[in-house]
Amino acid sequence: MTDVLIVGAGPAGLSAGIACAQHGLQVKIVDEFPRPGGRLLGQLHEEPDGTWWNGMEEAKRLLEQAEKLGVDIDCGVSVYDAAKTKEGWSVSSSHGNFEVPKLLLATGAAEMALPLPGWTLPGVMSIGGAQVMTNVHRVRVGERGIVVGVNILSVAIARELQLSGIHVDRMVLPAQNPVTRDAGNPEKVFQSMLRVAHLAPSTFMKLGSKLLKSKTMQKLALQFLPGIGGIRMWGIPIQLKAAALEIIGDKQVEGVKIVKINAKGAPIPGTEKVIPADFVCIAGGLYPLVELAAVAGCPFAYLPELGGHVPLHNERMQTPVEGLYVAGNITGIEGAKVAAAQGTVAGLSIADEFGKLPEKNLLSTAIETVEVVRQNATIQFHPCIAQGRATVKNMSAQHKSDA
Amino acid sequence: MTGRIEHHPILGSLENRKQILFHFDGKTYTACESETIAAALLANGVRTLRVHEEKGTPRGIYCNIGHCFECRVTVNGVKGIRACLTLVEEGMNVESGVQLPVPFKEGGHQK
Amino acid sequence: MESDPIIVCRCEEVTLQELHETAKSYQCSSRELKLRTRAGMGYCGGRTCRNLIDMIVNEVTGKSPGHSIPLGYQPPVRPVTFGLLGGHK
Repeated sequence: MTDVLIVGAGPAGLSAGIACAQHGLQVKIVDEFPRPGGRLLGQLHEEPDGTWWNGMEEAKRLLEQAEKLGVDIDCGVSVYDAAKTKEGWSVSSSHGNFEVPKLLLATGAAEMALPLPGWTLPGVMSIGGAQVMTNVHRVRVGERGIVVGVNILSVAIARELQLSGIHVDRMVLPAQNPVTRDAGNPEKVFQSMLRVAHLAPSTFMKLGSKLLKSKTMQKLALQFLPGIGGIRMWGIPIQLKAAALEIIGDKQVEGVKIVKINAKGAPIPGTEKVIPADFVCIAGGLYPLVELAAVAGCPFAYLPELGGHVPLHNERMQTPVEGLYVAGNITGIEGAKVAAAQGTVAGLSIADEFGKLPEKNLLSTAIETVEVVRQNATIQFHPCIAQGRATVKNMSAQHKSDA
Repeated sequence: MTGRIEHHPILGSLENRKQILFHFDGKTYTACESETIAAALLANGVRTLRVHEEKGTPRGIYCNIGHCFECRVTVNGVKGIRACLTLVEEGMNVESGVQLPVPFKEGGHQK
Repeated sequence: MESDPIIVCRCEEVTLQELHETAKSYQCSSRELKLRTRAGMGYCGGRTCRNLIDMIVNEVTGKSPGHSIPLGYQPPVRPVTFGLLGGHK
């Protein structure tokens, strides 16, 4: 008899499963991917102290702990519906139905697209897709590629591709259109890059982050940033003043037509040229993957700082829907460490609902830990995350008092 | 070119992986054990996994984690299988998606 | 040389131009735009383009996004066979 079903075997789902099992609950975790670990699997980055944080190792550690505690993990299972029943939840999957008292959704995030002419050609992948292919499957996505979209995630993954011996020719912005918008605006992209400049090994960016605190200085800097060969990180040109107009190719990617752009993102006529490439990565950022929360009847909050629509939940990771919990990137886009900390909270919170958490302080400590991990995160996806979190908490409380 | 990343400065080396044979559109390819269909085909230089059913435009791997369904192929006669989530098995028969006669509009949620 | 159209919905090959023009002429919601153009109705269930459809609608109508999800989700959220829905595996 399963007490809790967890959808998603990433950092949040595994941590939640561990916390539940440690308190005597029977836990089942399902995931669509053939291996547990979620997006921990592809992650690899250099900490400011020079050590490598290897998500694969982290996933292995969580998995071993979960398995030791008897957590049942099934991969290759796609969940397609979750319906409320008298006793709990009826969850439909590609591998049959599960009837469970409690349901935790830890489905993570999906990638946003940056549509360009030619982006359906084989050889065009999402940046996350390229990360998985390179670091998880260990297959080269190509020989020479161009990354379209400059953000914290894409810069980190460009570096990972490079570590695997793949040549990233350059990173450029997408040409501005009604569905690429701010991703095609050098000023906006520059500002968001400055927030993570302290991580950069490049002197320019480190210096830049100190010098460019003021808006005026930023404008000035951007004006003088050359379109071609501007910033480099790990030797990869990051061209904030060049945009991809079109991906060229007959049956697959052969190149990218780029153009110089001004500080507002407008193309400068006559500066177009085609850069040969055999792959292109599209990096539009992440949004919470909330589809199961929606079909389960959960109310939402729209908070751009968390990545879009997120299911309402309190600090115990409980949604307003009886027996439905959420943890990880489904609640807002943050790093894997925050997701894991949230998973622990959700697991303890579920154990408490079952009356199996005699040590109440464990839950309050875990809730505090989420805050601490968030504050210490070296990678912040959005500067206003804390504010967004507070809004969700308030909306959740408001929802409860209204009901 | 594509191909396998046998050695990695941080993730280490992959050696002595078991090789398995499978078929894609009548040709035989080699996969490594626990490789997805998408990864094995890309390692063999195959990028196109299907064509758009109506327009006939070529498609390959896009999201690589099961969200976009662009890599769907027919596996041992079963249609609509995501190549990015499905592990290769010995002797597996994989077929690419083809252009269908119009009108075929069968909607999104069946196969 | 004119460049190819910008496809927004990859599953149904619906272009930005078509979506923009439809949204303009009908001043419609994301849901209506989906029904009129089939964008977001394909195999992936709109996972790749739903945000883009909302962006187009917000731009054309001048409305800002609200807390409820504009393009509702209906089960099944993954394509399944009728056999599976009927309980036969």
